[in-house]
Order: sequence, then structure tokens, then C-alpha cells
Amino acid sequence: MGGHPFLADGVDFGDVILAVVLALVALVLTLVMTMLMVWFERKVVGRLQNRIGPNVAGPFGLLQTMADGMKLLFKEDLIPAKADKVLFVLAPFLAVVPAFLTFTVVPIAGDFSNGGSGSSTLPGFLGSREFLWQVADVPIGILFFLAMSSLAVYGIVLAGYGSGSKYPLISSVRATAQAISYEAALGLSLAAVFLVSGALSTNQIVLNQVAEGYGGFNFTRWNVVTTGLIPFIVFLIAATAELNRPPFDLVEAEQELVGGFHTEYSSFRFALFFLAEFMNTVTMGGIIVTLFFGGPSGPQLLPLGAFMGFIWFFLKLMVFLFIFVWFRATLPRVRYDQLMDLGWKVLIPISLAWLLMLGGLQLVRSGDLSFVDSTSADLVIVIALGLAIGLLGYAMLNAAIRTSRSERLAEEGLKLIAPKSQDSESLAGHQTGTTQGGH
Amino acid sequence: MVDAIVFIVSAIIILGGAVGVIFNQNPVHAALSLIASFFGVAVLFILQEVHFLALVQVVVYGGAVVVLFLFVIMLLGVEEIERFDDEPIPGQRAAALIGSVLLLGVILAGLFLSGPGGNRGAVALTGKPSQMVPLTTDPNVVQLANDLFTRNVFAFEATGLLLTIATVGAVVLVKNRGGEDLVVDEPGTSVR
Amino acid sequence: MAQYLPVLALLLLGSGFAAINLVVSKLVSPSRPTEEKLAPYECGIVPGREPPHRFPVRFYLIAMLFIIFDIEIVFLYPWAVANAGLGRFGLVAILIFSALVFESFIYLISKGALDWGTLQVNRRLSPMVNEDRTVESTVRKVGLVGRFEEVESLKDALIDGNAATDSVPEQDGAAA
Repeated sequence: MGGHPFLADGVDFGDVILAVVLALVALVLTLVMTMLMVWFERKVVGRLQNRIGPNVAGPFGLLQTMADGMKLLFKEDLIPAKADKVLFVLAPFLAVVPAFLTFTVVPIAGDFSNGGSGSSTLPGFLGSREFLWQVADVPIGILFFLAMSSLAVYGIVLAGYGSGSKYPLISSVRATAQAISYEAALGLSLAAVFLVSGALSTNQIVLNQVAEGYGGFNFTRWNVVTTGLIPFIVFLIAATAELNRPPFDLVEAEQELVGGFHTEYSSFRFALFFLAEFMNTVTMGGIIVTLFFGGPSGPQLLPLGAFMGFIWFFLKLMVFLFIFVWFRATLPRVRYDQLMDLGWKVLIPISLAWLLMLGGLQLVRSGDLSFVDSTSADLVIVIALGLAIGLLGYAMLNAAIRTSRSERLAEEGLKLIAPKSQDSESLAGHQTGTTQGGH
Repeated sequence: MVDAIVFIVSAIIILGGAVGVIFNQNPVHAALSLIASFFGVAVLFILQEVHFLALVQVVVYGGAVVVLFLFVIMLLGVEEIERFDDEPIPGQRAAALIGSVLLLGVILAGLFLSGPGGNRGAVALTGKPSQMVPLTTDPNVVQLANDLFTRNVFAFEATGLLLTIATVGAVVLVKNRGGEDLVVDEPGTSVR
Repeated sequence: MAQYLPVLALLLLGSGFAAINLVVSKLVSPSRPTEEKLAPYECGIVPGREPPHRFPVRFYLIAMLFIIFDIEIVFLYPWAVANAGLGRFGLVAILIFSALVFESFIYLISKGALDWGTLQVNRRLSPMVNEDRTVESTVRKVGLVGRFEEVESLKDALIDGNAATDSVPEQDGAAA
């Protein structure tokens, strides 16, 4: 069932205090992590680009983010004359508050070894309350994160519309279209995790990835392995697109052109958008670690109990934050139509097909679905069936794409040329017929 | 006691949002009030311990439907204030008044009528008291799945068909606009 | 429901944090609005013509399609969580549902509803691009551009006796 044990049986004043303390710790932790993430990104991107990055403010430039934040605090706050004041003021809140709330379901510490449930107990003088190392373990678990990222879309939409200028509006509509396209792919890859975990609550998901093995640790139970690799890859790509991070950062590339949806924002309102983006990055890293890599579970190399879980979580999180920064430093930006094609035509069919396949395999392994007597033969049969259906689906998808292309070409008065062997006669013969269409 | 407070607060949010939708001059503000209203409904679902429906409420209604509304508002550039002087269909005001009085009567009857066994209100109408306690100890999602995929499978597949109809309708609606509206300044959007 | 209590606490604390910072910012920052500052920003130029108002209908379609696919995904979640308990019956039910989803998806793609961007018509070029291009005409020895002419003009100038030899600077590495 999941949930904080101290909230499961009636709520008294001490429980309320503990809940507020958990929220406060999460607030401070997210802010500090965001500050460090901004610094980390600037440093690492700098090093990957053969330069030093910030090194003036504080040791190694660690206080650079704080310095930038203070600078933005002191800047003049302009609300454009044509802006819709209510929306203009509300939009940063709708960006930042879901960013905070997304962090609530991520477990950051806990002792999961030897069958532990990851919870810790406060000492007796504080009431012996048993709690989990996350802000809240709501019954819908990870889907709470999906709900919050659905709400975060409004920050973008209202920022663009409320700015009262056409270019932020166009940019925000495109950013919203990008966000909702990848939310579908995100949701489908989440379903694969639920399939193998059988639960929605994050604590349950982490517990399902813990298994006794070599030294109390067996990473073959991690969801990245049990769901196959595909849902993880789809989730990583969809997460990068949801965060508007490179290579999917067209929203920010617009700043090189005219301005993104936060063109008209200055001073601390802009800082809130910036904060929200990096907070989302950190949280998304945390969610990837929780969903696919076992969260804070790991062998107790040092006898630190729940705090060892925090060390594991932090290490795994750093790997993914580094991967996000690595994407930024190395990959060129994707074009908008390539972006939408990827989100709709590639990620959605793949994750749906994989999900159904996983469902079938899970039933075979539990003995519920069997054609012959031996389980391994059943597995082979189901995999073969799945491959056959998958190939059929792939063929249909290709046929549909070709149909739409030929229809568009026909509208432009051209014919679809099948690629054949190149020789000058055929090239010359077709040269009159083909032009660069559609510009 | 806490349940009552949560209920009253979410009722205020829902009703306030609904009133905001009607009385806001700016359509975008009205859409925002709608989001507030949906959020209140989600809180009520949580109060009833149906957490998955609360999620569906926020994700589908709050996260997709209102985004569509906002796109339409921004697409059409609807910024005019409604004029209430015209009456496009003759007699529509009288019909609306009668309809709302009847609706109010039904609601009051549902709340205050009594039925067999001394039951009041909704219990009299349906014969079953509402339950704030989960029916089994499974999480709400599992209960929902067990019900959906056994007793209501036919409705479930029919929903798939309905969604197909919706898809076809969406494409037809858009295609019938006769091509694209061009935004000339913008690199990256298509010409066709 | 009590499990949402920390969420409520974080919601209040988070919005409080943002609000307090905004208030502080308003207190410490100057406020000197001028007309240029309050006008919509357009790369620093004064907005001349009114930008086009209409929008690609495509965005509207994407939003509608997202609702439909979101509903389908939301139906998948209960099955995914309860898969073990639902057995073969549930699997077949969800397979039929997914087939319906997939066929609507195929319909969308074939109708071009999910097509973005310009139509890419790629011409397959032969390995030999054009018979007229030869090594002489295509390859240009960049380092020698202009140098032969200067040496030539110097030679002419010396023959003519008109050139001032010290006006032509020494070329380093002028050897071919």
C-alpha cells in the first residue's frame, strides 16, 4: 500500500510538525541542489568546451549561481504595458510550484538492505514516528509527477500569452506542443515500470528493485534490466524533451532569434523560470534513478544505515545529471519537425509495442499464459508472436508514412520516386520532374 | 472533522472557479478558473479515496483539455466581450430559466427526499450509501482495473472505438479548413 | 488522504518562497519605467508592421490528439499495475484496445496529421556529380591564388622598367 507509516493511523499535531519539517528539508535541499546543478552544468560544459567555466565567485565558482540570483533580485522588474498583469505574474508561480512538488515522490535515502523497508524511526523523545525518506508517498506515486508536469505546461502557456507580444506567444505555443507530445511518450514508458513493479507508489517501486544477491545487492532486479532497455531509453529521451534541454531546446534557441516565452520577463520573475528549469532537471534525474536504477538502494558498504542510501542516490543522480550536461555539450539542436516526428511517430509506437510485449512475457513467466508445457518454449513462442505482430505494425506504419508522403507530393504535382540504381540516364530523366518541394 | 474542512474548502474552490468561468470577461482568465475548479474536484476525489480518478482528473482534464481550450482561445484571438443583448434563438431565455428551475428542483429533491427505510437524499435515489472506506484493501488502481477488465470490458472496448471516432473527427475538422494558416515569420513551421 | 499532508506543506512553502522573493525584489529594485522599456521587445527595433495573427491549425490538432492519446495512456495504467491479477483475459482485452489505438494512429499518420516541416524530397545523386567537373576546374590550390600573377607582373615590370621593385613585398613561401 505504501505511504508514510506515521500518517497511516490518524494525524496528530506531532505528525503535522514532522510533515512540515519534511517539506522544509525538501525545499532547502531542492534549492541547494538546483544551485549546484547550475554551477555543475556551467563548469562541465566549460571544461568540455576547453574553457574553465565560472571560477570567481566563491571557491571553484560555487557561489556563482547565488551571485546571479542576487543580481537578478536587484534588477528592475518590468511588466510590459501590453501584458496581461494577472497572467504575467501568475506564470512564474505555475512554473516553479510544480517543480517543487515533483520532488515530493522521490526517495532520497533509506536502508533497503536485508529486507528493510527503507523507513526510519525518529527517536523516542520525538514520538517514535516511522517515516520514509521522501516528502510524501502518495498512493498514486510516480503519477503525481506526471500530474505536476502536466500543470507545469501552464507556466509556459501563460507566460507566452501574458507577455502581450506576438513572439513569446508563438514560442510558447511551440513549447507547449513539444511538451505535450513528449508527455505521451513519457507516460507510456512509465507504464512499463508499473507493469514490472505492480504498484504505483515510489517506495514499492524501489522495494521491487532490491534483491538479495552478491553482498546484499543484485542490480539485475533494477527496472532498467527487467523492463528491457527500451522504456529507459524512451523515458530518457522524453524527459530531455520535457525539460526543454538540448538537443531539444528549441524553446531556448528562440532566444537567439527573437526571444523565448520569457522574453519580457526580467529580474526575479525570470529567475523563477530559470530556477524551475534546473529544478525540474534535478528532479527528473531523481525520478529516473528511482524508476530504473533502484533509487537509494544499494549495498551497505559503510555501516551508515539510511544515510548510505543517500550516498547511493546522490551518486546515481550525479551520473544522470552528468549525462544531461553531456547532451548539452555534445549534441546539436534538433529541428522542430524532427522533434515532433520523433515524439509521435517513433517513441509512442515503440513504447506501446514494448509494453504489450512485456505484459505478455510477464504472464508467461507467471504461468498464466502458456501454449505448451515448458516455460522457456512459451517464452520463445510469445516473443516470436510479439515480433511478428511488431513487424506487422512497423510495416503498417511505414505504409502510412508513404501514403501521406505520396499524397503530399501528389498535391504538389510530383510523383514519388522509388530509389533505384543510379545512372545518368535515369537521373537526367527524372531531373525535369523533381524539384526541391515545399519551400 | 478534517474531512468536513477539506470538503468545504474544495467546494469553495470548485464553486468559485465555476463562477469565475462564467463571469470573467477575459477568456483566458475564465480558463484558469476552470483549472481551479478541476483541481477542487480532484481534491474531492482524493477525499473519497479514489486517488487514481483524482490523477485522471488533473492529467486529462487539467492538463490536456484546458490546454486545448487555451490553444483555441489563442488561435482564434478571442478577446471580445460577449454582448448579452442579442437573443439568437427566440425564447431561449425563458427556456433557460425554466430549465434551471427544474434542475434546481431535481437537486433539492435528491438532497432532501426520503425513501424506504428512512434513507434520505441520494441514498434514497440509489439505494446504496456512499462509501468513504475502500471496498477492499487493494490500492484504488488495482480495484479499478479489476472492475474495468472484468465487468466492464465491453464498455472499455467501446471507449477505444469512441476514441477512434474522435481521432477521425479531429482530422476531418482540421482538413476541412482547407489548408494551413501561414505564419510567415517563423522558421521551421511548414508551408504545407 | 493524510498522505498528502506533506505535499500541501511543500505547496505552501514553495509558493511562499517564490512570493517572498518577489516581494523582496520589489522592495530592493529600482522602478524607472520608460516607454521603450515597456514596449514589447523585438530585437531592439521598433515594431513596425503588425506581425501576422493567424496560427497554424496544426497546434490545435496536436492538442486534440494529445487528449485522445492521454486518455488511452490513462487506460493503460490500471492494466499495467494489475496485469498479474488480470491474466489472459486482461491481456487480450488490452490487446484489442491497443489495436484500436494503433489503427487510429495509423489513420492519423496516413492522413498527414502528424506531418510537420517541409516536404523532404531527396534526389539521389549519382557518385559522379557532373561530367563537366574535372580536377582542374574543381580543385583550387588556394595558397597560390594571386601569386603567379604578381610574379608575372613583376617580370613584366622589370622588362618594362616601370615598376618600383621595393613596392612589391617579399612573398614568403611563394614556391609552388
